[in-house]
Amino acid sequence: MERIDEDKLIDEVTGKNYEYGFTTDIESDTLPPGLDEDVVRMISAKKNEPEWLLNWRLEAFKVWSEMTEPDWAHVEYEKPDFQAISYYSAPKQKKELASLDEVDPELLKTMEKLGISLEEQKRLSGVAVDFVMDSVSVATSFKEKLGELGVIFCSLGEAIQKHPELVRKHLGTVVPQRDNYYAALNSAVFTDGSFCYIPKGVRCPMELSTYFRINQAGTGQFERTLIVADEGSYVSYLEGCTAPQRDENQLHAAVVEIIANDEAEVRYSTVQNWYPGDKDGKGGVFNFVTKRGLCHRAAKISWTQVETGSAITWKYPSCILKGDDSIGEFFSVAVTNNKQQADTGTKMIHIGKRTRSTIISKGISSGHSQNSYRGLVQIHPGAENSRNFSVCDSLLMTDTCGAHTFPYIEVKNPTAQIEHEASTSKIGDDQIFYCQQRGIEEEEAIGLIVKGYAKDVLNKLPMEFAVEAQKLLTISLEGSVG
Amino acid sequence: MSVFTDNFSATLPPPTRKSERWKYSPIAKLLNKEISISTEAAQGMNGWPESVLPNPVLNLDAYLVVFKNGVFEPTLSDLPVSDGVDCIPFSKMDQSGSLDFTNGYHQKEWIGELNETYRQDGLSLHVHRNVKVDRPIVIHHLTDGNNVASFPKHLIKVDEGGELNVVVWSSASDRSSGMYNGLLEASIGPNALLSLEKVCNEGGKVFHFSHEHIVQERDSKLKMHTFTIKGDWVRNELEIISRGKGTDSVFNGAYLPLGAEHVDNHTTMDHTSSDGTSSELYRGIMYGNSTGVFNGKVFVRPDAQKTNAFQQNTNIVADRGAAINTKPELEIYADDVKCSHGCTVGQFDLDALFYLKSRGIDEKAAKALLVEAFLADVLSSVSSTELCEEIMRLYTERHGW
Amino acid sequence: MLKINNLCAKVGDNEILKGLSLEVKPGELHAIMGPNGSGKSTLAAVLAGRDLYEVTGGSVDLDGIDLLDLEASERAREGVFLAFQYPIEIPGVSNLNFMKAALNGKRAHRGLEPIKAKDFLEKVKECSSLVELDGRLRDRSVNEGFSGGEKKRNEIFQMAMLEPKLAILDETDSGLDIDALRVVSKGVNAMRSPERSFIVITHYQRLLEHIVPDFVHVLSNGKIVKSGGKELALELEEKGYDWLKEPSHDTSNA
Repeated sequence: MERIDEDKLIDEVTGKNYEYGFTTDIESDTLPPGLDEDVVRMISAKKNEPEWLLNWRLEAFKVWSEMTEPDWAHVEYEKPDFQAISYYSAPKQKKELASLDEVDPELLKTMEKLGISLEEQKRLSGVAVDFVMDSVSVATSFKEKLGELGVIFCSLGEAIQKHPELVRKHLGTVVPQRDNYYAALNSAVFTDGSFCYIPKGVRCPMELSTYFRINQAGTGQFERTLIVADEGSYVSYLEGCTAPQRDENQLHAAVVEIIANDEAEVRYSTVQNWYPGDKDGKGGVFNFVTKRGLCHRAAKISWTQVETGSAITWKYPSCILKGDDSIGEFFSVAVTNNKQQADTGTKMIHIGKRTRSTIISKGISSGHSQNSYRGLVQIHPGAENSRNFSVCDSLLMTDTCGAHTFPYIEVKNPTAQIEHEASTSKIGDDQIFYCQQRGIEEEEAIGLIVKGYAKDVLNKLPMEFAVEAQKLLTISLEGSVG
Repeated sequence: MSVFTDNFSATLPPPTRKSERWKYSPIAKLLNKEISISTEAAQGMNGWPESVLPNPVLNLDAYLVVFKNGVFEPTLSDLPVSDGVDCIPFSKMDQSGSLDFTNGYHQKEWIGELNETYRQDGLSLHVHRNVKVDRPIVIHHLTDGNNVASFPKHLIKVDEGGELNVVVWSSASDRSSGMYNGLLEASIGPNALLSLEKVCNEGGKVFHFSHEHIVQERDSKLKMHTFTIKGDWVRNELEIISRGKGTDSVFNGAYLPLGAEHVDNHTTMDHTSSDGTSSELYRGIMYGNSTGVFNGKVFVRPDAQKTNAFQQNTNIVADRGAAINTKPELEIYADDVKCSHGCTVGQFDLDALFYLKSRGIDEKAAKALLVEAFLADVLSSVSSTELCEEIMRLYTERHGW
Repeated sequence: MLKINNLCAKVGDNEILKGLSLEVKPGELHAIMGPNGSGKSTLAAVLAGRDLYEVTGGSVDLDGIDLLDLEASERAREGVFLAFQYPIEIPGVSNLNFMKAALNGKRAHRGLEPIKAKDFLEKVKECSSLVELDGRLRDRSVNEGFSGGEKKRNEIFQMAMLEPKLAILDETDSGLDIDALRVVSKGVNAMRSPERSFIVITHYQRLLEHIVPDFVHVLSNGKIVKSGGKELALELEEKGYDWLKEPSHDTSNA
């Protein structure tokens, strides 16, 4: 897909935002801080939701009220005050800036390095942009094409109104309300997110991306995404944006659910670059996400993530390999710098026969950061001849950071084959010197070595995403050696 | 006397499944048990069971120190040992001469507090400077009786340049039930060597818990082996702290549980100083409905630059119904280090098995050969061939290869 | 072209180069021989700018530029090339991308545009045939999984790609069998030109049968103790180094 078309499409969908769900009558609404049953009811009412969904939310709220915040991850932070958060804020317009001169120059510098066009820079940093005239037609042609194939791709709010049967059938089936503390909270108060349905046998011809609707405000804090790939279908879904995202919300508790029916394949790629906070880690985003996919027979779910942002990351995109011959994959690069803390990994739950999973995790720690891989590979008694292969490597850039590996392997079947290996190493002085001796400057050399180290994962990203992700790695590690 | 009902009011809570350290080894079953504690008087009444020999490694030329149900057996023990070594049970020693240190385990874990509260005896073993003890010291613990418990704690100190080989062997007669809760703390001085073999070969239904805590000073060497031959419920905790520069720690283990047995090996290697090396290899085969647990943690602290740490855990789930839970962990806070771990779960190599059979070796013998090969790397560093052979003999006898 | 004057260098408290002087004119090939620990590889590393070594005295001048004042990458861009004794592996970075980054760094230094893809590939083809480096190796990660001989051929391939003014070959013959030695030597000889100078560091005379030097110097205990023509190498082969060794108070730097 041409880059320019995407840009146009984003603009178009951004403009269209006002057509659905959020209309002017609720625009100025913001609930006072605090969370109780009435707040949940109010959110549901504001969104004009059916009763079953309200009840579902209330159930989640009840469960959440009885839970305690988990503390097992290898991260330290001051626990958020859940009563100090406002759980409903209408999609308020961010204050528009008149020109790029008003934008934080650091932010612009980063965007420039990422090769983001001037127009896009403006849009991403909240500067008023004139929409290009013919964008409507371009977007429409995409929409038409998807429509012809029967692909549904819209906001979750819109799906609840237009396709309630599909949402009701699948919502919470992979990540139930009581799954964990943050998932329960999300289930009670989620505001919006994406919904995607690929019908039987359809190969979605384009990457579906939240990039299309990046400015759809108000979905960020408690976003919920539901992807349903019907039998034999294929879709590649991109989440996030390589541009740095400033956000006033400190706590992000999103949920992503994927259902891959028989022989379906879903590729889910994420680049996460939330604000990591300043050099002391102040003000950064807490990213507590629950992502999970369910594979039916011979289905395949592939998670690829490049994590460079957030002050705290707590995230384990997982696969439940329920169907025989299903496949789960997890490819991750997590970079931490300054005072960032990341505890991320995956869970591969093998239930069906001949299920296979692959885990490749590459951690890169710098500054005073802490970077942990935490993963579970579970082989149930019936998972005959299942396989898992895991590699978890850590690269250390400074003597003040930490790199940790916490794999959990549980096997209850005598035909399973599990291989896990992990290593920790320092970026090599001799490698840097070798590059320098060939005329490559130190910073570029570090970039080259790090990209090489992360190559196995970066290769899994869709091409266009991969290029930006590579640049992002280099930028995230700037000034970390020497 | 009952340990867990009215008499024991611990200040620490017993571990539950929710505590990460006990996730795979819940002890709820134990808490409902009636267990009594031996006194010297009770000891004399039972005598020694015929099924267990007082010397567990007959061929090994060693000093033998025997405890029965936690109580020292002077008539079966070879004390004192050679010059330069103070090796005396706490019960037979005036307080001034005995070793006295603690890692405070009884203040950290409920199970440690239990030991502290009910401790019967233990060995104070002090090897003086540059003394190389001529023969291994075998500490033999026997559990014999219904609902009996041993709560020993041994202290070992090897001074600078000293060398010592200790075997801690625990047995239980088939009619036994109850608990073995043994602690061992050792300190290895500069340039000193401690070889420690820990063997659990207990019949009956004994809840076996042991905790070894070893501190290594500069340039010292530790060779530690943990073998679980037999045991209804076994948990081996091993904690090694490298406190001085340039230490070398080798610690290996093997576990081959059968039936409904449960074996947990919980190791921590803590590199707090620079230039240390550690090498860990644990191998297990889970038969029947047994469960194996491995939890290995390697810490490399900020000052432990130039550390070289290696950890490997290899498992075979041999039968339907058997399970392994393994958690090899690294926590690294220094950058100029080489650390790696590997973990596998799999089966016997069917190609190798077929190859052996095609040469006329029957299935049983072929499997025995493969098991021997599987355990070879663990056994190769055991300090004496006599011990090595005895362990292999017991495994073979038990599994009927 | 290259003037080394009274160069002294140490690593930690260990003085390795103790007043080394050497002049290399354009087009000349100088062989530096000497026993283990005499400072041969240190000289190569110091010239290339390895910061493990601290230069404590003396000067190095390359066509009027004070080399010691430059960083390693700047020296490379000025035309200094070091063929490593132990080439470094960089996993995940393809040999070609590596060369492209290096070449374009050098071009940028001279104010040139990045090389065109077509020109680059032609150059790669030309240079790799020079050392019989097959396509497979070019596309693989830098030195990763290469045999000893492949690594050395890759060094010469890189040298051909980067067309240095001064090439320093550090024990390029070590670990090579006779066929690989022939290939590497052929590559080096093809690179010889009136503008390009070489410093060839070797322990054995064997290499110098294939790459014929203009001058041979013997390095011992951090200094050049004898210089001569190519016949000196043969003499060394016959007599060994002992007769040349300076009495030394410190032999611990072996």
